[in-house]
Amino acid sequence: MKILIAEDETELQKSIATYLERDGNVCEMASDYHEALYKIDLYEYDLLVLDINLITGSGLDILKLLKRNRSETPTIIISANNSLDDKLEGLDLGADDYLTKPFHLAELNSRIKAVLRRGKFGGNDRLEFHEISIDTRSRTAYVNEQALSLTRKEFDLLLFFVTNKGRVLSKEIIAEHLWGDHSDLADNFDFIYVHINNLRKKLTEAGAKYIKTAYGSGYKFVEE
Amino acid sequence: MIVDTLKKIRLIRKTSKTFLGISALLMLVSTVALYFYLRNLLQSEVEEELRSTEARIESSLIENPEPFQLSPVVEIQTVSRLGKEVLKDTIIYDPSQDEMEEFRELSTFSAINGENYRITVRALVVESENILIAVVISYLVIILLVFLFLFYVNRSRNQKLWTPFFHNLEQMKRFSLSSDAPIALMDSEILEFSELNTEIKLLTNKVRSDYRNLKQYTEDVSHEMQTPLAIIQAKIENVINMEEPLDDQQFEQLTSIQRDIQRLSQMTKRLTLLTKIENNQFANVEQLDITRLMAETVQDFCEISNNAIKVDFEHPIKVDMDPYLASVLCNNLVSNAIKYNIAQQDIVVGSTVDDISISNAGTTPLKHPDSLYNRFYRESDGVKATGLGLAIVKRICDLYGFGIDYRFSGDRHMFTIHFGKK
Repeated sequence: MKILIAEDETELQKSIATYLERDGNVCEMASDYHEALYKIDLYEYDLLVLDINLITGSGLDILKLLKRNRSETPTIIISANNSLDDKLEGLDLGADDYLTKPFHLAELNSRIKAVLRRGKFGGNDRLEFHEISIDTRSRTAYVNEQALSLTRKEFDLLLFFVTNKGRVLSKEIIAEHLWGDHSDLADNFDFIYVHINNLRKKLTEAGAKYIKTAYGSGYKFVEE
Repeated sequence: MIVDTLKKIRLIRKTSKTFLGISALLMLVSTVALYFYLRNLLQSEVEEELRSTEARIESSLIENPEPFQLSPVVEIQTVSRLGKEVLKDTIIYDPSQDEMEEFRELSTFSAINGENYRITVRALVVESENILIAVVISYLVIILLVFLFLFYVNRSRNQKLWTPFFHNLEQMKRFSLSSDAPIALMDSEILEFSELNTEIKLLTNKVRSDYRNLKQYTEDVSHEMQTPLAIIQAKIENVINMEEPLDDQQFEQLTSIQRDIQRLSQMTKRLTLLTKIENNQFANVEQLDITRLMAETVQDFCEISNNAIKVDFEHPIKVDMDPYLASVLCNNLVSNAIKYNIAQQDIVVGSTVDDISISNAGTTPLKHPDSLYNRFYRESDGVKATGLGLAIVKRICDLYGFGIDYRFSGDRHMFTIHFGKK
């Protein structure tokens, strides 16, 4: 996938690119409004990661221009602004998702994949990983065509693992993915162990042992 | 500072009262003085008259030694010895009036042509008394009219004079920090009032700009903090996923940083939210069923809570408020209960006609319940909290005029929100 990251903080650009490139994506950077416009005009991208507060202009204006030119490039907004109005404005303008800083790269990655699934492949809602197949529309997961009975959170967790396969996911990242802002509620993460262990048990019973513990307290979804 | 308005008196009333008091005192003193002065004057006048009559009688006696009577005004008697002169008031019968009358009486003794006479002359007191009363009453009436007139003139004058002051006072009462409407002050020809206006304008502008700066500062800081936090967060994730593996301890350290980043980020989000509530930036008021929203919130939190949350609503409560703030309200109340609940104890959410209460188990009552809704107030350091959740709840309640109270009874902390208008 070819992704343009329009973000004026070069450190953040680089970090995002590093993370995304490990999945074989090609990332290009734009550090300000004009550079972003220039690159969008010149090249085709599969996805645009767009910061709203670019030094020389607003990311929302870029979005407006894109939509005016009937561009179908999916866009994910990343913004330091948490306000509901901004979020709604961004989505109204045609952004596919809106992520508030600070975010976890794993979260961004899973959102990117969700957006790409919905967009480019004309609504390909299936995600495959060896014998595991995930239907994101009906929210069902199959192992060797056998449907797993998963709870809502277990399904979300599985999807999150598969989209971030090979990455170490700390409990913090997982908690925030599953419960968002509420994840600060529990200072122990017992409730995550419960969900992960249940999911692991169900996958193992179906013959798919991919969830591994990493560094004692983190998790990793890996091929054996 | 709270002014006890009941004990205060209005300016115009105060000046009027003072004026009336001084007027009454002046009237009393001057009337008394006038009375005594006039009485003295009249008395000496009568005395002088009596003496001159007496002198005339004496001279007539020289020519005609026969004593004569003109009762009750003049009585002449021959006496054996001369006595002392007497001046006194007396009441005797006046045949002309056919009643007892008060007279001023002068009795003198004098020897004329070898004969001793006692000459008594009298003058009616009634006459001078009447004059005295007439004068005092006229004086009283005149001075009363003068004072009344002065009083009304003074009052209306004062009212007019102070009008700009009262107007400006009303304006200042209506002054709101969050509104940008300029304060409309009435100008006055009076120098002091004019100066006061200038100072008020200066002060209000200063206060407003300080307030704006503070708000802006809070917003800016919260906002500007998110990007560096995002960078740190992203870098940690890349470090965790580096080719060269970490050891468990390094990983533990890094995830601990992730936790702190989340706390910091939560805090700034909540601070921004507080500022926004204070700025009245949630104008989207809708009627919603708060009990249903609460039940949904509890549903969301069930998985996170280690203990059961029991919900028991009798009937729905409709409130008019911003839907986003309503969900924040419910979220914060439920998460507060979860955070401070004791293991193996239920959280209970209930309702009556127009209030919702939520309680969690605890061992001791709060040490400082007054500070409960203050920003960054934490009862203990044991729980990792931003210390903003309840401050936000309180702000939302204040915004819509809901009442909130906290109680500790039967080893439970209980918060109750009263949605009925206070």
